[in-house]
Amino acid sequence: MSQTTDRPQRVDGDASSTRAPAAETVLAVDDLRKSYGSGEDAVTAVDGVSFEITRGEVVGVLGPNGAGKTTTIKSILGLVVPSSGSVEIAGVDADDDLRGVYQHVGAMLEGARNTYWRLTVRENLRFFAALGGNDPGAARERHDRLLEQFDLAEKADETVNGLSRGQKQKVSLAATLARGTDVVFLDEPTLGLDVEASLELRRELRRLADEEAITVVLSSHDMDVVEDVCDRVVILSDGRVIADDPVEELVGVFDTQAYRVVADGRLSDAVRARLVREYRVENVEVLADRTRFDVTLGDDDALYDVLGVLDDAGHDLLDVDGLEPDLEDVFLDVTDRAHREPESEDQRDDATEGSR
Amino acid sequence: MSTTTDDARDVDVGPRGFLRFFGASARKKLLLLVRYPVNTISQFGTVLLVFFVLFFGGRAVAPTAISDSIEGIIVGYLLWSMSITAYSGLSWGVTREAQWGTLEQLFMSPFGFGPVMVVKTVVNVLESFLWGAGTLLVMMAVTGRWLAVDPFTVLPVAALAVAPAVGIGFVFGGLAIRFKRIENAFQLVQFLLVGLIAAPVADYPLLKWAPLAQGSQLLQTAMTEGVRLWEFPAGDLGVLVATAVGYLALGYAAFHYCQRWARREGVMGHY
Repeated sequence: MSQTTDRPQRVDGDASSTRAPAAETVLAVDDLRKSYGSGEDAVTAVDGVSFEITRGEVVGVLGPNGAGKTTTIKSILGLVVPSSGSVEIAGVDADDDLRGVYQHVGAMLEGARNTYWRLTVRENLRFFAALGGNDPGAARERHDRLLEQFDLAEKADETVNGLSRGQKQKVSLAATLARGTDVVFLDEPTLGLDVEASLELRRELRRLADEEAITVVLSSHDMDVVEDVCDRVVILSDGRVIADDPVEELVGVFDTQAYRVVADGRLSDAVRARLVREYRVENVEVLADRTRFDVTLGDDDALYDVLGVLDDAGHDLLDVDGLEPDLEDVFLDVTDRAHREPESEDQRDDATEGSR
Repeated sequence: MSTTTDDARDVDVGPRGFLRFFGASARKKLLLLVRYPVNTISQFGTVLLVFFVLFFGGRAVAPTAISDSIEGIIVGYLLWSMSITAYSGLSWGVTREAQWGTLEQLFMSPFGFGPVMVVKTVVNVLESFLWGAGTLLVMMAVTGRWLAVDPFTVLPVAALAVAPAVGIGFVFGGLAIRFKRIENAFQLVQFLLVGLIAAPVADYPLLKWAPLAQGSQLLQTAMTEGVRLWEFPAGDLGVLVATAVGYLALGYAAFHYCQRWARREGVMGHY
């Protein structure tokens, strides 16, 4: 498990403690379902997804490949017609008034491919502002600001096809924001960016949420990005929501329960088997005259039970360290559990309801 | 509802905003024509080259036949080149937007996908008129046959004549959204348009209800015989308007159906 101290710091520190949470719900998804085909050949991509997002929140939608992330996001955006369920953005029901929804929403779904490469950076911003119903002339000041923020001011009059991949990605995001929106959907926003560009983009996303109250919904496989930027994550698996919690809360739950234990001597097979079986011990390593292993426990008291097992077997305890997990550990654990322990429909509904 | 924190967030989806978007689309088209002159010249050159092959080649093989029918060839070729520009602007346009990754952006416009495509189509039709004027001038200069070009007659008749081609463009644009790789079908349609423009409406009156046929017939009459718009029989103009509106509406409905079909299947924007 990686140490959280190695990770880049959140730009505004602990966002949840510095910002008063906005109460206005800007995106509400209720029992969203999408199936392809019919009868025995039917494939369910989204299976009763529900969540709400408030203004100025940054929410990560995570899930393994095939979990239904893209279909969920495209269904919310109307690019895929959902089989059932409802989506409301900024108080507008998507089923009743999709055009009304698009007055509030921008999306970057194709990364750097979102813009016209034969136009200049500024021409792209102007075109997409007009496409969104804005007056490109009136939005010039905003565009200048975006160009400055994304370090593109010097490239404003260059055609996009001459820019680097990272710059194209930034142009794409700037074009999404060019018309001014309440909610922005971003699919893999940092894909292909170098470390510096990725950090800049993360800072910009936080600033948009904190200073302009823009709601950001992003999907990414880069857990560092999600952990740095997001206030909350919605984890999908097999088209269902299996976790919907603040990042700090998700990581915090693990923080107090994961330990690295070092005991003297080599553990016998029987002791090792008992620890693995009863206490979810993993990563057992024998190091010369000592044994090291990681253990994730259901509650703090269980640590004493593990130490008791070692003591009974005649092993002295040399060291115990609390492990600080990152979001990737949480994600892997949550999705793994979802696959290992399929719940009944009722249990799943209860769990989802509880985490909202 | 939304909190406006920036004047640039003011969204106007009324006529003024729509006009602004039309201006932005026309500007984009113009910028690209000027910025890539080699592409622009080769596009225009190809149209002329095909005509030169047709005219000089035909004159070498059958000089009398070409000489007798040169006016028809000029008008027919003019309408064909304009129809191709208008039609392919939609069908190839959708394919290219899907390849570029911008199709979904166009769909998510608060103006609606249909109106956005209509704006793009109007810009394409205007472009086709631009090329048409240039092509006509060169064709008349090269052949030495100067036709009647009364703008009050030629422009509305040509616009109504091209409208069914736009309708066909909408159909194939919709099919491109749903099925993506249908470029071979696009090319076949170009030959189909030749047949429709050359349809013998005088011999087979029912053919006037086919796309482009009546428009081609009336444009020939207007430009070769100097007949003015108001001198045409009302019935002929009625058929022209009915076919223009009918095929355009049918094409637009098919486009709308196909985009919804594509969204149901989850393939909008895929390529």
